[in-house]
Amino acid sequence: MSEVPSRLRVAVAVSDATARCRLAALVARSGHEVVELTDAPEAILTDDAIDEMTSAPAVAIGPVAGDFAGRVPPDATPQQIDAALRAVVAGLTVRGPSPQHRNFGPMVEEAWPVLTPREIEVLAALRDGLSNKAAARRLGISPHTVKFHVEALFKKLGATSRAEAVAKGLRRQIVEI
Amino acid sequence: MPEAAQDPLIGLSDALVERTKRAQSLVARIEVEGRPICSGTLWRKDVVVAADQGFAHVDAAEVVLGDGSRFAAQTAGRDPGTNVLALKLDGTPDPTPLPTAEPDLGALVLAFGADGDGGISVRLGVIHSVGPTWHSRAGGRIDRRIVLDMTMSRREEGGPVHDAGGGLLGMSTLGPRRRVLVIPATTVESVLEPLLSKGRVERGWLGLALQPVQLPEAMRAGAGQSRGLMIMGVAKDGPAEQAGVLAGDILVALAGESVSRPSTVAQRLGPEAIGQPVELRLLRAGKILLLTAIVAGRPSG
Repeated sequence: MSEVPSRLRVAVAVSDATARCRLAALVARSGHEVVELTDAPEAILTDDAIDEMTSAPAVAIGPVAGDFAGRVPPDATPQQIDAALRAVVAGLTVRGPSPQHRNFGPMVEEAWPVLTPREIEVLAALRDGLSNKAAARRLGISPHTVKFHVEALFKKLGATSRAEAVAKGLRRQIVEI
Repeated sequence: MPEAAQDPLIGLSDALVERTKRAQSLVARIEVEGRPICSGTLWRKDVVVAADQGFAHVDAAEVVLGDGSRFAAQTAGRDPGTNVLALKLDGTPDPTPLPTAEPDLGALVLAFGADGDGGISVRLGVIHSVGPTWHSRAGGRIDRRIVLDMTMSRREEGGPVHDAGGGLLGMSTLGPRRRVLVIPATTVESVLEPLLSKGRVERGWLGLALQPVQLPEAMRAGAGQSRGLMIMGVAKDGPAEQAGVLAGDILVALAGESVSRPSTVAQRLGPEAIGQPVELRLLRAGKILLLTAIVAGRPSG
């Protein structure tokens, strides 16, 4: 299989002009060249059925009916879109998080561990990618205390990495009311 | 061979076939641009109910009933809170309304759907568990927590679930870990009128993002409880912001009632709460603070 070039020719096939501008800018920022559908793209990013016949693999953004090599959620990050475009060009199939995680369900899973306010603040610092030292500065506590809270978080959440702790601790427990 | 008339297995099978025939005209296949998307239930004369989560971002569809009749349909309203979507049909199929039924733990049930290949599909199971009223992530109140002992594909979601007597228990939907849940008929009924007249169900809203927290030892005495809800975010110009609530405050009571779960807050924010003042008891910097917010209607979208 041929190597995937780091700079892809990507067509953005989106009907809404504003959304098209946003996605084209995002694709360009990821280092790709934005081209027209008719201009031999290597990959296509679309939110709608594509009318033109083309052999390039497509990534669908949002819930679009049809058969696409890639699918990403409507709120996909630039990194996710970039990764999906590269993956479909490499001949892979890309799917977003399985919908079962987002099925209709209760407000807060009963069994989730309850954190203390300080643990939540430390978790927010981890989410923002801060080191223990930087988190300590932000919260006005010692790095040693931050380390203590991080260890407590890992234990409470059954996490083995900072990313896992953030995913388990923050994403699922916040309720908007 | 056993005598058909006396054999209980043949008797059961015949009864299932007969129930299915009776239910057929109430089961809807919902298509968008010729593709089957999900299932639905003909709930009233010209209204099909389906699962909102199976039908996101779609406003027009074609509905094919189990007897083969086909109707154009528009989304009349949707309520993510109870996962109910109402489709209004162009045309008036005339269903024989079914009596609604209460779930009995362990009872046999039939779940109907559209398999996407033209006909309707049937699943047989038992009521695996029945729980009390619960609140969904989007704040909707669901009268009973009914879980079925069966699997279901996404295309079958939204069809009717009947008990052995042919009574309508409610609409099927996929829950966490793909368990099959039933949205009870009484819950569907309670949101149907507002969905048809206003397109949505009004719910109270404070404009808060909450997370349950364990109160530090030092705060427990002052609060009189060991848990609260930390305020992770305050919606701009929302009722809580106008009342002076700040991110980082910890909510310990609402309208005089101690709260430690978001669902307790949701219970107090039904449609009747809109426009009413509500007292928030908060912990800020270790001290108790009382603020009053006027509950607003939850903004759509």
